[in-house]
Amino acid sequence: MALRLSERQQAVVFAAILLTAIAGLYATTQLLQPAPVQAQVVGSATLDVRGDGWSIRYAPAVTTNNTAFGILSEASARLGFPLSYAIFQIPQGVFVTAINGSVNGEGGRYWQYWVNGVYGDVAADHEALHDGDVVLWSFSASQDGM
Amino acid sequence: MGRGWRAVVEAGLGDARTRILGVFLIIVAVVGTFLMHSYANIETVFAASLLAGSLLGRWWTILVPLTALAVLQPLEWSTTYVGYGLNAITGITFFVISGYVFVGFLGRRIRPRVLFRVKSVALLTTISVPVTIAYDLWTAFGEWYFITRPFGVTLGTTLYFQIPFTLYHLLSSLIFVPLFGSIFLFLHAYGWPARSPSATVSGPDRE
Repeated sequence: MALRLSERQQAVVFAAILLTAIAGLYATTQLLQPAPVQAQVVGSATLDVRGDGWSIRYAPAVTTNNTAFGILSEASARLGFPLSYAIFQIPQGVFVTAINGSVNGEGGRYWQYWVNGVYGDVAADHEALHDGDVVLWSFSASQDGM
Repeated sequence: MGRGWRAVVEAGLGDARTRILGVFLIIVAVVGTFLMHSYANIETVFAASLLAGSLLGRWWTILVPLTALAVLQPLEWSTTYVGYGLNAITGITFFVISGYVFVGFLGRRIRPRVLFRVKSVALLTTISVPVTIAYDLWTAFGEWYFITRPFGVTLGTTLYFQIPFTLYHLLSSLIFVPLFGSIFLFLHAYGWPARSPSATVSGPDRE
């Protein structure tokens, strides 16, 4: 004999299933979020920014802006070149759109970063730096930085 | 001739209640997505397109996604994604628009009985899961072809990095489809000032 639920019971069952699915999905997305980088003092990090026919080098003795984006932002403030970026809440992270007048998309090139020659595969503000790290921001058309 | 066109438009847009609900859906799609633009893939165009197809039908199946995207796409390309080349913009826009129109047509294909019932909302919500995944696969392919492929990134890698974004999109669909689905089913079924007692419950209202 088939179980027949009233409209109210169906609503309760549906709401329970829906809320469980939403909670499960939300928990999964939180697990997939990259861990935030804790601020700490980093020494001898170097930043190279290669734009369209120009380059900038910044090498602070120490910095507490210990992410690939943090050191770029610090250089922008110290050296006075413009930096544009979008902040995403979900997934958390910044997306650099322009540095010193070179805007993403120009000539099919986009801003990308490498740390010690390794291509960045997380948002730049989630890429932690350590002593002596070399950060390269390049306005390029491929992952080779060309 | 003029009267013929008028009749076509009248038939395409439906009665006054259908038109008001259609405009409501466009507003929901635009305002909701704009307010949540910093939350990737949390958006209301998907829910609005699905509901437009399944509840309103007629021209609203494509009018809702097209009108909403006519407002949202220029906004996004000129703010969040400023600087992308025309080729990338044109290509991605094609995939996004065709994806949402596809959602609208799928909604129309489902055609649940337009009744304010748990079963109707549950059907729309359930169907939104595979449709969201299909939409994301389609647009991820477009993103790969127009943006990441020139960087030497494989389609497999693009799809791999798409996974968390699809989870957010599923989250968005599971929240907004039942939420707006319930609201619009209620409004469609019981509406506002009923002109006659028979207008308080509407059946499938299609061409």
